[in-house]
Amino acid sequence: MKKVNDSKRTYMLITIPILALFVCFNTVPLIRGVVYSFTNFKGFGTYDFVGFRNYMDLFTDPRIGGSYLFTIKLAIVATILTNVISLILALGLNSKIKGKTFLRAAYFVPNVLGALVVGYIFQYFFTYILPGLGEVLGIDALSGSMLSNSKTAWIAIVIVCAWQSIAMNTIIYISGLQTVPEDVYEAGDLDGATGWKKFRYLTFPLIIPFFTINMVLCVKNFLMVFDQIMAMTKGGPEQSTESISYLIYNNGLSGGSFGYQSANAVVFFIVIVAISVAQMSISSKKEEQL
Amino acid sequence: MYEKMKARVNWPITILLFIGLITVAFPLYMTIVIAFKQPTEMTNSISGILSLPAHWSLSNFAQAMELTDFWRSLGNSLLVTISTVVLCLLLHSLMGYAVGRNKAHSKIYNLIYLFIVSGMFVPFAILMMPLAKQTAEMHLDNWAGVIILYVVFYMPMNLLLYTGYLVNIPIALEEAARVDGASTWRTFWKIIFPIMKPMHATVAVITALAVWNDVMTPLIIMSGKGQNTLPLAQLTFQTQFGTNYNLAFASYLLALIPIIIFYVICQKQIINGVVNGAVK
Amino acid sequence: MKKKKAISAVLAASMLAAVILPGCGSDENSGVTEIEILQYKPEAATYFDQVEEQFNATHDDIHLTISSPNDASTIMRTRFVRDDYPDIIGIGGDINYSYYVDADILADVSDYPGLADVKQSYLDILENLEITPKDGVFGVPYVANAAGILYNKDMFEEHGWQIPESWDELIDLCEEIKSEGILPFYFGFRDTWTCLAPWNSLAVDLAPADTCKKVNAGETTFTDNYREVAEKCLELVSYGPDDPVAYGYNDACTAFANGESAMYPIGSYAVPQILSVNPDMNIDSFVTPGNDDPEKNTLNSGVDLMFAVTAACEHKEEAYEVLDFLMEDENIQAYIDDQNAVPCKEGDFDLAPMLDGMQSYIESGNMTDYQDHYYPSEMAVDAQIQTLIINKDVDAFLAKFDKDWQRYNRDIIREVQEYNEEHGTSD
Repeated sequence: MKKVNDSKRTYMLITIPILALFVCFNTVPLIRGVVYSFTNFKGFGTYDFVGFRNYMDLFTDPRIGGSYLFTIKLAIVATILTNVISLILALGLNSKIKGKTFLRAAYFVPNVLGALVVGYIFQYFFTYILPGLGEVLGIDALSGSMLSNSKTAWIAIVIVCAWQSIAMNTIIYISGLQTVPEDVYEAGDLDGATGWKKFRYLTFPLIIPFFTINMVLCVKNFLMVFDQIMAMTKGGPEQSTESISYLIYNNGLSGGSFGYQSANAVVFFIVIVAISVAQMSISSKKEEQL
Repeated sequence: MYEKMKARVNWPITILLFIGLITVAFPLYMTIVIAFKQPTEMTNSISGILSLPAHWSLSNFAQAMELTDFWRSLGNSLLVTISTVVLCLLLHSLMGYAVGRNKAHSKIYNLIYLFIVSGMFVPFAILMMPLAKQTAEMHLDNWAGVIILYVVFYMPMNLLLYTGYLVNIPIALEEAARVDGASTWRTFWKIIFPIMKPMHATVAVITALAVWNDVMTPLIIMSGKGQNTLPLAQLTFQTQFGTNYNLAFASYLLALIPIIIFYVICQKQIINGVVNGAVK
Repeated sequence: MKKKKAISAVLAASMLAAVILPGCGSDENSGVTEIEILQYKPEAATYFDQVEEQFNATHDDIHLTISSPNDASTIMRTRFVRDDYPDIIGIGGDINYSYYVDADILADVSDYPGLADVKQSYLDILENLEITPKDGVFGVPYVANAAGILYNKDMFEEHGWQIPESWDELIDLCEEIKSEGILPFYFGFRDTWTCLAPWNSLAVDLAPADTCKKVNAGETTFTDNYREVAEKCLELVSYGPDDPVAYGYNDACTAFANGESAMYPIGSYAVPQILSVNPDMNIDSFVTPGNDDPEKNTLNSGVDLMFAVTAACEHKEEAYEVLDFLMEDENIQAYIDDQNAVPCKEGDFDLAPMLDGMQSYIESGNMTDYQDHYYPSEMAVDAQIQTLIINKDVDAFLAKFDKDWQRYNRDIIREVQEYNEEHGTSD
C-alpha cells in the first residue's frame, strides 16, 4: 500500500507546481483577455463595459462569417493534404534508403525558412513562374496569377501552408514509426502481409496516437493561420483570404477594435477546443479498440 | 535487429525521394541566388531572377551580419532556445508522465490533460496585452520572462506528444522496477526518461524551431528594451516602405544553419532510439 | 527521496531565480534628467542615433535616449498598457494620433515656443485630426510626406511629354504614352495598402477635406462625396497592367525602376526602394490632377512624423529642450536629406530632387491631408478599394463604404454627435 501512496504523492508533486505555472501564465491572462471582450477597449487609454455588444456584433458581421468559412475550408484541405503527404514521406524516409540523413535534413528546410523568404518566393512563383509555365504548356487555367483571383487565392495559401508544415508532421510520424517494434513486421512477414495491407493492419494501428497528435497540431496550425496570409495576400484579393487570426491581429492589435476582436478570439477559442476535443475523443476510442 | 541493417537499399523509394526534393531545392536555390545578388540585379523576369548572380561575393552576408549585430543576436537566440528546450524536456516529460500514466483511470488527471492541451488553442493575440501587463507587474519583462512564457506556451503541445508516446511504452517495464523497490520518481528518471529519447529529440526539434523563429514573445515582453534575438534583428530589413530582400535572404540563410545542424543531431537520436529493443 | 528533493529544489530555485533576477530599476542619477524618445520610423534610426549622440555630447543636465525599434507600434501599445510611457513619442499624423489625443495620452504643448516656427497648415492638419475639438496642441509636426505621381524623368524628356495639370491632360498623356507602346502606370495592388495611394491623391482633389468629419457628424454620406473619386480611380487603373492585383509593391517598384512603366502613382516614400534597383534613375513627381480646373488641385501631404510629449512625462521643460534641439534647422535638413521628407518648419530647406514637381504647392501651402488618416485601419478601406478595382462596381463600393463606416466608427460617431449637441455644430 505504501508504494501506491508514494506514487500518488509523486504524481501530485509533479503535477501541482507545473499546473500552477500554466494557470499563472496562460489561464490568468486568458481570463483578463475575456474581460476585455466585454469592453470597447482600443488597446490603450480608458474603456467602458459594453455588455454583450461585441458578441452580438460578431454574428451580424459578414467579415467574421467570411473569415470562418475561409479558415475552415483551408484547415480541412490543408490538414488532409499535409497528413497524407507527410505520412508517405515519413514511411519513405524511414525505409532503407541511401542518403537518409541528407534527405531528412533537406525535407526539413521548408519549416525553417522565415516567413519573409517564403512569402517572397511563393509570391514570385504564383505571380510570374506558374503563369509562365501555364503559357508554355498552353494551360489557360494557369495563365493568370492565382493570388489575384479570389476563387483560387485560397488554394495558393493551402499549398504554402502544406509545404511549410509537412516537415514537422513528418518528424512526428518518423518518431512514431520508431515505436513500431520490429517483431510486428516479422510476424507480419510470416503471415505474408505486404505493402498496403502491412501498413493498414500492422503499422497504422500502432501509430494512431501520432496520427491524433498530427491531426490536432494541423487543426491548430491551420485554423490559426496568420503568417502565410501576411506573407502572401494580406487578406486579399477582395478580402477573400482573411483568416480569423488575421482579423484578430490586424483589427485588434494594429487597429482599434481590441475589445471586439477579443470577443472574436474567445468565440474562436471555444470553437477550436470543441473541434479538437471531439477529434481526440474519436481517436482515443479508436486507440481503445486496439 | 542487426541483420536488418544488411537489408538491401530500397532504390525506388530513394529515387522518388530525390525527385520529390525538387519542391525544396527550387525555393532554396532561389533563396541562395537572391542572397548573393545585388539589389540592382532584381527584376521581374523569370530568367532574370533565376540567373546566377553576376559576382559571387559574400558582401551581402557580411553586411547582413553587421546590420543584425549577428554574433550577439545569435548568442541571445541560442541562450533563449537552449534554456527553453532544456526546461521543456525536463518539465514537460515529467508532466507527460504524471498525466499520461493517470489520465486513463483518473477523472481529475484527464481533466488536467484536456485543460492544458486546450491551452494550445488560445489565440496568442488575446493573451498579449494581459501578458504584457502581468509580466511587467511581476518584473518579468526580460529574458527570464520570455523563457518562462515559452515553457508555458509549448506545454500543451509537448504534453500531447509525451502522453501520446507513453501509450506505446508498456507499464510492465515500470512495474518491474517497482518490484525492485524503486520509487516512482526514481523509476521515471532511471527508466522512463531514457526510453523517451526519440520523443525528447522530437520535442526538442519542434520546440527549438518554434522558439528560434518567434518574434512576438520577445517583442511584447521586452518591448524593445532588451537585446535582439536573430528574428527580431532581422526585422531591420523590412521597413514600411521598402525591403532589402538581398540582405534579408543572406541573413535568413545564416540563421538557417544552426537550426539545421541541431535538427540533424536530434534526428540521429530519434533513429537510434532504444525503444524497439527495450520494449521487447 | 534525497535525489527527488534535490531535483525539485533545483527546479523551484530556477523558477524563483527567474522571478527575482530581473534587472533592477534605473538608478536616479543626481542632477541628470533622463528623457526618452520612442519613435516609429526604424528607417531613420541612423539619423536619430546621431542626434542622440550630439545632444548628449552638448548637454550635461539631460541624458537623451532615442529608440527606433522595429515594429514600434506594437511596442508602444504594450508599453501603454503597462503605464510605462516614454517622455516623447514620435508618431505619424493618422488615426492613431486621433485615438491617443482622445485617450488623453498626450500632453498639451501649446506653451512650447517652437510651435511658432511650424507651418500653420500642418498645425491645422493635426487639429483636424482631433475627434472632438480639444483645447491645446498635442504634437509638434516635424516632417511631412507627399504623394502624387512619380514619373521617369528621362523617359518624359526623351518623348517630349509634358506634365499634366488637369484631369483631361492626364488622360491625354496616358493615351499618348500608350500609343507609343509604353505602359503609363504600374500598380502593386496585391499589397492592399498601395491601393490607397492613387485613391488618396484623387480624393484630396475631388472630395472636401472634412468629408469624414461631416459623415461622423451625420451631415453627409460617402456616396455623395466619393463617387467621382472612385470612378476616376478606376480610370487611372485602366492605364496600368492587365491584372494589377497580381503584383505587389515590390514588383511595382522594380518594374518602374526598370522602365517598364512611365509613371507610378505612389508617395515619395517609395523612391529609396526604386533607387535601390536602379540607382541612376531620374525620378520626379507631380501632383495628381484630379480636376479639370488646375486651380482646384491640391497636394496630398500629411504629417509623417511628429513629436508628442506624453501626459505622463514629468520633465516637460527638459523635453522642450530636446524638441528645440531636434527642431534646429541643420538637424531638420539632415533628416530631410536622409529621408526625402518635406519639413514642417518654416524656413529655407533644400528639398530632394524628386519633390521638384511639387515644390510650388509646398511653398504656397496648398496641401490637404490624406483622407485615409481618418479611416480606422480595421475597416480595411484599402481592401475595399482593391475589391472595387477587381469588380469595378462603384455603387456597391460606395454603399458598403457608408455601411461599414457606421459600423466601425460607432463609438466615435456617438462621441461626435454628443459633443455637437452640447456645443452646437462647429460651423
